[in-house]
Amino acid sequence: MYDAIFIENFGKPTSTYIFEHFANDAASAASSKGVPVIRTVPEKIVSESTVMEDIDLAIQAVFNNVVETLTRPLTADEKSPKRREQENPPRLIFKGNLAEINEFFYRRGWTDGLPVIPPTEDAVREMMTGTDYAPDYLVEKLEPRQGKATVEKIAINAVMAGCLPTHLPLLIAGVHALADNPTTGMMAASTGSWAPFYLVNGPVRNDVKVNSSYGASSPGNIANAAIGRAMGLITKNIRGIRKQVEDMGVLGNPGKYSFVAAENEENSPWEPFHVDCGFKKEDSTITVSFPQSYQQMVPFGTDDKGIIATVVGSIVPARMGLFSLILTPNNAQSLAKRGWSKQSVKDYIVKNARVPEDYYTRLGLDASGPFDRGNFMGQGTSPQILRPTPDRPDPVQIFVFGGFGSWVGFMQGGPPPIIKKVELPKNWPQLVKKYQNIVPTYVRY
Amino acid sequence: MISGKNDAFYEVLSPWAEADPVPLKGLAPRLDKLDGKKIGLLQNSKRAAPRILDVTERLLKEKFPRTQISRFEGRSFSVSSLEPERRQEFEDWLKGVDAVIAAVGD
Repeated sequence: MYDAIFIENFGKPTSTYIFEHFANDAASAASSKGVPVIRTVPEKIVSESTVMEDIDLAIQAVFNNVVETLTRPLTADEKSPKRREQENPPRLIFKGNLAEINEFFYRRGWTDGLPVIPPTEDAVREMMTGTDYAPDYLVEKLEPRQGKATVEKIAINAVMAGCLPTHLPLLIAGVHALADNPTTGMMAASTGSWAPFYLVNGPVRNDVKVNSSYGASSPGNIANAAIGRAMGLITKNIRGIRKQVEDMGVLGNPGKYSFVAAENEENSPWEPFHVDCGFKKEDSTITVSFPQSYQQMVPFGTDDKGIIATVVGSIVPARMGLFSLILTPNNAQSLAKRGWSKQSVKDYIVKNARVPEDYYTRLGLDASGPFDRGNFMGQGTSPQILRPTPDRPDPVQIFVFGGFGSWVGFMQGGPPPIIKKVELPKNWPQLVKKYQNIVPTYVRY
Repeated sequence: MISGKNDAFYEVLSPWAEADPVPLKGLAPRLDKLDGKKIGLLQNSKRAAPRILDVTERLLKEKFPRTQISRFEGRSFSVSSLEPERRQEFEDWLKGVDAVIAAVGD
């Protein structure tokens, strides 16, 4: 809808076709940009449809509505819309027991479906000891509603998610990452259900115990679980991206609960990701990317040939953007021992991940037809699947994490990652000492 | 969620962020008719968009034969993500049309 708003503001009347299930999304998008009343033409074309007969019939059915939206004189409200009541609830919002609070918050769409920790003033005050910034310090305004991510609002959502105060610096850096590129940030609203993946580098990993080893992206570690969860709640409650209102993800994605891992820097033969990006090893960073899918497989072999063949052989067209390779420490070591650097692995993948000549015809499709919207130059014109472009010069990323096993991981799709430095408060060592012994102890049986 | 009989009570803060009021804008004046006008057809990068506009163009020509039609292909999801030169092209194109029909394929 942003295009329609731009065009209307440019002084030209616009009629926008929208899939009928996008009515709420369209209204929200327009309203967030100051156009609460906008003319759209709902139609019955399913998102991403390629069935020509369906498209033809659907447009014929509504064409008269298009004419009408461009010619019917504006109402008074359309000429000068009235401001509807701002949804800025009071700071102290509710009093009740745990169940009542959770029901109140759930009914307002403020949770992810799981119970939340009540964000009392005391809890939020304790959370904010994780930063030197004042509670009313504005970290960023976040698209699409330009919600003010103040330290306090971030802290409230962090408490709800179950974070410790030592996670707050990572959340603040994560908010900066989301704001860095609105296009990247808006992947959270896409029909493709892109789920943010947060990679943590530097000393903060061990300070707050972000898991980089076995089960790094599985549930069970407070840091991995709560940091991702808090960013998800921030996405709802500060950004204003809610399921089936602004978030039009069709299938959904479990990664939207939390998908966080630390790089296993100690056991990687290469420089850490953040050092590749120009940071010092002693800096701590958080990186956000928006993969659409996460896949694992056992490689054809665990020497360099076997690993590389597995990776190249698994890359197929139309995965829409970035390809992130997850290597366990031993797989990375296996490659490094045989002379591979991260860059040479990336270069090899870019050069050799190609569409086989008979790929589309074998599938019974028009050879020039299927396209990969995340790789525009590849629209049937070249067999190279991952091609560097000006806005995506590095289409392959490599992250080293996980336990000592042979599985290879792929995260596919999305725009380039965004990395931000984590700023720590002056009393960081004392904070770490206070919270570092909160670790699980598993009963043996 | 289940609650116990003697649960503690909590007073909690709202997680919903404030946002400054956005200046409100009305819509652009409508056309008195489409026949004889210059209609721009805008498509983004979604798959259904080109076909939607193909059908629209055909119907426009059938119903309003004197209408002049031009197309702009966004090649991304929105104007805001166009690179500066392309954005200038878009604005130049807009100056040359009387109204726009947009297909976003969603």
